[in-house]
Amino acid sequence: MFLGRVVGEVWATRKADDLAGKRLLVVQALDERREPGAPKVTPVVCADPLGAAYGQRVIVAFGKAARVACGGDGDYAFEAAIVAIVDDLDAPLAPPEWNEPSLNDGGADARRERG
Amino acid sequence: MLIGTVVGHVWSTVKDPTLQGCRFLVVQPYVLGGEPSAETLIAVDPLGAGIGERVLVVFGRAARHVIGKGHDVGFQSAVAAIVDRMELADGASVGPIAARDLPAPGSASEGARARKPRNRNNP
Repeated sequence: MFLGRVVGEVWATRKADDLAGKRLLVVQALDERREPGAPKVTPVVCADPLGAAYGQRVIVAFGKAARVACGGDGDYAFEAAIVAIVDDLDAPLAPPEWNEPSLNDGGADARRERG
Repeated sequence: MLIGTVVGHVWSTVKDPTLQGCRFLVVQPYVLGGEPSAETLIAVDPLGAGIGERVLVVFGRAARHVIGKGHDVGFQSAVAAIVDRMELADGASVGPIAARDLPAPGSASEGARARKPRNRNNP
């Protein structure tokens, strides 16, 4: 499990059948080793049963925990899911970016402009 | 799960019998900021993705489920979806093919490969 921030959303037409109707969000881990200028790492794509918004901090779980969070321990074509949306976080030694509740760089405005 | 670009195919004759009929792809993970990842991975592809396409790769039980041969399969990663579009919070749009990516609005550079990092400590 890790703490991350929602940075995007993914859409696909050709996909495994049981991904139909699943919202897939792109989450970047909040990582204390991530200094400014450090190499970027691959963000995780996860199912979102809770309805998280861009810029929100979330807790991501893998494996059985993710399946249970999405309605039971069945066979699903995903193995990561958002299990909690963070209300508040107290981590005094963490980088300031962690403690910002929402980092939304005007993406919504940009999308509106683009239609 | 991660997003990656298909960069190659792998063929194998001598392999675990549970992998008969599986198509293997070489996938390069997507990295925020647009730089290509240094690592690649191999995934079974039941959907038929082509080179250059962006795909969603799943691991473990989800991968075995996607491969569709039950849970006794000797492989850990599989393509679960072929990406139509990925939209990022800063307004950038990542398409099915890297050449068609749109940069974040207001970004100084043309093309997502040189998109500005989102970190405000490093403008």
